[in-house]
Amino acid sequence: MKIHELKHHGPVDTAQGGLRGSAVLVGLIPIGTAFGHFISKLIALPQLRRLAAGPIPWTPLRKPLSESTVALISSGGVHLRTDRPFNVNGDPTYRVIPKAARQDDLAISHQAYDKTDALRDINLVFPLERVSELEAERVIGRLADNHYGFGLMGSAKRLLPAMKEVARRLNESGVDLALLVPA
Amino acid sequence: MTTVALGLVKEVAEAARAPRFLYLHWPFGHALGEPGNVAQQRTVLHDMLTMATSAPRPGLVVELPYRWRRHTYPAVQNWSAPSQAVTSALPRSRVMM
Repeated sequence: MKIHELKHHGPVDTAQGGLRGSAVLVGLIPIGTAFGHFISKLIALPQLRRLAAGPIPWTPLRKPLSESTVALISSGGVHLRTDRPFNVNGDPTYRVIPKAARQDDLAISHQAYDKTDALRDINLVFPLERVSELEAERVIGRLADNHYGFGLMGSAKRLLPAMKEVARRLNESGVDLALLVPA
Repeated sequence: MTTVALGLVKEVAEAARAPRFLYLHWPFGHALGEPGNVAQQRTVLHDMLTMATSAPRPGLVVELPYRWRRHTYPAVQNWSAPSQAVTSALPRSRVMM
């Protein structure tokens, strides 16, 4: 695994060699096109129809926004550059990103979307700076101490243990509102 | 814990049956918009916060009206007021921030 452009200002892109299996398919998508959406639906829809059965969970916000603790969850492959990169062929694990992380501290390990713009401004997939501003402006009560990153994972079922673990950690740390941002 | 999700594929957002979903017809890798466009990114966050406070029932997928690169984003003037883009799309209910 090589990390490119360690000296450049802003998040790094990690490159991990060739893609395998279904990752080849998503890795080759002409990004942002109708075909990309088609692949996304092809992979996600049958799984969601199985897994998202039953009543939809519902937790109303229990206090005003100006008193709420807010956390971010991104599936854009974001992690600390000092942390272990995601396996771009599919990775069912998560990474913790502390609130103090700056753009230069972060990296993106994901091959299924065009990262050009996100590497210039990581707020596009992980808006930590923007939410931090909202904390300073007292729009929200508090930015949570820890935020969470996920990578590409073709199997939603295999992702469930990590998602449950993150939900437990968020609940235990008193987070009132989690904002989920996709790749 | 309250959750609000952003989505870029409408059918996936609907199939996820999440408590609150905002859908944007924007390219992958750009859920908050364009690099450096702080007003645009803040607009999307205002919409997410409005969804957190104002969605009246689970399972709503609200489609935001912003056309990719064809919309200008004025600064959010009042963060204690809900976003029009979301409230106008929500089913009739009492909307508050």
